[in-house]
Amino acid sequence: MTPILDITGYCLDYATPAGFTRALDEVTLSVAKGEVLGLVGESGSGKTSLAWAIMRHLPESAREAGRISLVDKDLTTASAAEIDAFRGRRIGMVFQDPSTSLNPTLPLGEQLAEVLEHHRGLTRKQAWAEGEAMLARVGLKLPAQMMQRYPHEASGGEKQRVVIATAFACQPECIIFDEPTTALDVITARQILDLFGELQAETGVASLYISHDLALVSRVANRVAVIHRGRIVEQGRVQDVFAAPQDAYTRDLLAAVPRPDHRLVEAGPGMEVKALVEVDKVSVRYGRKPFLSKLLRRENTQFTGNREVSLSVREGEILGIVGESGSGKSTLAKALTGLNPFEGELRFAGRPIGGLKDMDRAYRRDVQIIFQHPDSSLNPRQRIREILSRPLALYGTPEQRSDKTAIGALLEQVRLPAGYADRYPHQLSGGEKQRVAIARAFASRPKLVICDEITSALDVSVQASVIELLVDFQKRFGTAYLFITHDLNLVRQIAHRIAVMYRGDLVDLVDVADLSGGALHPYTRSLIDAIPAPAAIRA
Amino acid sequence: MSPAYILKRIVLVGYTLLVVSLIVFAITQILPADAAVMMLGENATAEALAALRAQMGLDAPIWAQYGHWLAGVLRGDFGVSMRTGQQVGPVMIEALGRSLLLALFSIVLMLMLALPLGIIAAVRRGRIADLVVSVISYIGVSLPEFVTATLVVLVLADWLQWLPATGYVPLTENLLQGLRHLVLPVLTISVILIAHVSRMVRSELVDVLHTDYIRAARLKGLPGRTVLYKHALRNALLPTITIVALDIGYLLGGVIVVEEIFALPGIGRQLIVAIQSRDLPSIQAGALIMAATYAVASFLADIAYARLDRRIQYD
Repeated sequence: MTPILDITGYCLDYATPAGFTRALDEVTLSVAKGEVLGLVGESGSGKTSLAWAIMRHLPESAREAGRISLVDKDLTTASAAEIDAFRGRRIGMVFQDPSTSLNPTLPLGEQLAEVLEHHRGLTRKQAWAEGEAMLARVGLKLPAQMMQRYPHEASGGEKQRVVIATAFACQPECIIFDEPTTALDVITARQILDLFGELQAETGVASLYISHDLALVSRVANRVAVIHRGRIVEQGRVQDVFAAPQDAYTRDLLAAVPRPDHRLVEAGPGMEVKALVEVDKVSVRYGRKPFLSKLLRRENTQFTGNREVSLSVREGEILGIVGESGSGKSTLAKALTGLNPFEGELRFAGRPIGGLKDMDRAYRRDVQIIFQHPDSSLNPRQRIREILSRPLALYGTPEQRSDKTAIGALLEQVRLPAGYADRYPHQLSGGEKQRVAIARAFASRPKLVICDEITSALDVSVQASVIELLVDFQKRFGTAYLFITHDLNLVRQIAHRIAVMYRGDLVDLVDVADLSGGALHPYTRSLIDAIPAPAAIRA
Repeated sequence: MSPAYILKRIVLVGYTLLVVSLIVFAITQILPADAAVMMLGENATAEALAALRAQMGLDAPIWAQYGHWLAGVLRGDFGVSMRTGQQVGPVMIEALGRSLLLALFSIVLMLMLALPLGIIAAVRRGRIADLVVSVISYIGVSLPEFVTATLVVLVLADWLQWLPATGYVPLTENLLQGLRHLVLPVLTISVILIAHVSRMVRSELVDVLHTDYIRAARLKGLPGRTVLYKHALRNALLPTITIVALDIGYLLGGVIVVEEIFALPGIGRQLIVAIQSRDLPSIQAGALIMAATYAVASFLADIAYARLDRRIQYD
């Protein structure tokens, strides 16, 4: 079959004060009509640079070599006018996060119709009628209303459907999908993927599907290309690459993908082990009553973050909490650490904790939290040494406080060189920063560590090593974890029990073994069904 | 836009003005001026003073005086000037009209120049045009009004003799002469406004041009002009609306210097005269009217903002 998009020997360098840095190195790939090529790589691998290069959206500092052809036209030598003529018309693009890729001050319909007006020369009226039909086609229930709505009046899934409709609007020959489901909830992502499959089959558009998620790519793509440091290290049919990866990097990547059947922890503590934390009918409400509403006796507009949640964590147990964004996972974590006021009862090691005032130094020592983004949880103006000296000064033993090697020891515990103590956070990679955050949390030898989406900002291989570290600590110190995540596959690898949250309610609390069968809440079932099963992957 | 939102803003304006009226009244009470002494002179007899105080209601408790004054204000009666014996309200409103005329012309001129300058600087960021606009606006921001005023008078009125240096002619009396008298004050004020509004437009637009949705608009294949004017400018101008509303406040209160230099009888100048002669009713009226104008300008800006950005009213 003749390729629609054909890239041969493409190199891309960016000029920096220190000379040229190579972003893409001899990239060769092609996508034929009706084909989906998955481009898989970790952050910084160059996959997004390639997308910009195809779309001819490169900074002035870019220097290129090689060919990018659309059917028979070389895009690298195209004039500005030619670029305007193919962008959005012959090549479309679907972006990662629909909440930032749509203009907040224009109606959704306008943002779709303008493309039809510009590229297909429709009148405004025709464009709006056509746009409405397109929105109906991408599965939006009330297309006419959706046309009039602004981005903030639509959900993430609805917005992404509008973005997809826009990309397909001019029946392009090729569409680049740049992580189109990464910013969405699991179940919404699944629906968007289904839509993608349908439209792809119907239009036969040549699709370049960029993702960091191997399991996902194994489901949507016919062929896959693995990119690492700007080079395509492996390329082939999905079954072949996943069944028998040729390249060492691909093998590592495949091994790092969380698989529910590959348990990383031993059996959990038995029923006889006493509960460390008991959460009894804890509710959290956000927002205060606005002054004017009170004046006008209006209904209470408070938002419920948690509704009477009850659960317990035994000593040394890993309790996973899963749910989509806004389900109340982090709200619970904040309640347990005193960042949110709560109603209900909380007992820690038998001691009742009524609220912030009971969270004394002893409680803080025993309950530590690690946040999602180390960039915002580590002070950028402090060296690692200062960051780690705080918990030691607060909770350390007198020997630790006087011991000059204590900080080095903390770093080595999380497998970082002791020399990192004199660095600033920005001099570390994302994974290294998260290790520093872990070292800080473990400095006080806590009994419970709350991990709030701590790996969701990390690449899959980095995630694997961070998880390995946590599991190792759990074995060595007997620490209990409250492991909050949206990644069901990951949590099934390490949790003893799993709590499922949905819109503020705890809907399920089951032993991990019971997830495959047993009576489950319908939401839990749909969650399990929505996760792309990495079945095709056999590393 | 929901009526509830507008109602909420109106209630807020009313509340603000009530607080301002309290403050204004309290301050005029603290001023070391006895209205009766001011009117009758220092040699008046104690009986005459007491009689006048009783007549003016000055012997009543202070909250009663405030209530009496506020009730008058709500009826549009700001009292009688101690200096001239005239009704204070009409005099101040007339002066406000002249100040608003000055403000209107200045803002129109400012928008006509500041928007294009800011847009050019943002689009050609880091190039010569950007640098030139930056330098000009830094100079504009750093020059005090009286220096700018002196410069324009020196060049346009003194050397070139094109325009009158000072004075005021009502537009209804002689349109051409009236406009000629307005040119220099308008120029002076605009220089300062242009400087900071163009910087504001530039930095907002630079931020907006780097957002994902602008990149998305470009990659949809829309022409550069559409991306700039339809997608980017709309979002970049939103904060500017608020700034312009704040500038109206500046124009009314802060241009006292400009009104003084050009002998323009605006509300700022009236207020200065009132303060110098301890004319309490005039001070109260002037301050309250200025505050009201300011509050209404902010209210209009909020409404405009909510109209352009639908997310606002949900806050």
